[in-house]
Amino acid sequence: MTVVHFTTAGTFMLSITGLALHRTHLVSALLCIEGMMLALFSALAVSYQTPIHTNTSLQPIIMLALAACGAGAGLSLLVASTRTHASDHLHNLSLLKC
Amino acid sequence: MMYLIFLFSVCFVLGVLGVAANPAPFFGAVALVFGALGCCGVLVGLGGSYIGIVLLLIYLGGMLVVVAYSVALAAEPYPEAWVNHSVLMHVLGYVLLVLLVGWCFMELFVESGVDAAGFFSLRGDFSGVVLLFSMGGWLLLLSGWGLLLALFVVLELTRGRARGGLRVP
Repeated sequence: MTVVHFTTAGTFMLSITGLALHRTHLVSALLCIEGMMLALFSALAVSYQTPIHTNTSLQPIIMLALAACGAGAGLSLLVASTRTHASDHLHNLSLLKC
Repeated sequence: MMYLIFLFSVCFVLGVLGVAANPAPFFGAVALVFGALGCCGVLVGLGGSYIGIVLLLIYLGGMLVVVAYSVALAAEPYPEAWVNHSVLMHVLGYVLLVLLVGWCFMELFVESGVDAAGFFSLRGDFSGVVLLFSMGGWLLLLSGWGLLLALFVVLELTRGRARGGLRVP
């Protein structure tokens, strides 16, 4: 692996490890998902830049738009759960208790 | 250029590592800003200046403002930085993990991107993104429709207790 490919794969694995291991705040989980989206964006962009496939250079932009949709939905869930539970800890979000 | 791209890659990895080590959400947002800066530097160094500047504008202008607003909902009186004991253990563990895996799998070589091609009078990403407005117009409409749908999803989720999409007694 070259440096750039190792960077994209390593940041994705770091973010997914942080999402799996640390679950106190919902904001931290959302930030880890943003880090995964950043790693996916850089992976898509690097994978068209190193062989020069210019036709696929619109894939990272479309993925960024869809990632913005996901980030908006996640932050609205954060605001809604904060309004009903008065904190954003993830143990409030147990679906069985509701 | 190779050393510059390597330094931006280190900044990218350290930023995401600072998010993944789970400090207080304030510091996590700051670390995500540094990660986005490093990613933008890598992409610009490889030759995609349009992609890099779009990433920087979206992350710093769009998302980080909203995230900084939402982080205020999780405010703590004594936020944990990276030098607190529990977070520092995770930071050191992740740094050792990245160094070990990088020592095994990474070779110190940056292949050149669009800059070293020599045939193009246009940059690759400029001439590629133009397809979004000519032949790939349906993709543009699809992403715009997705953003509009996300607006209504957000409005329904944050409406209220009894009528919204999230009904919690």
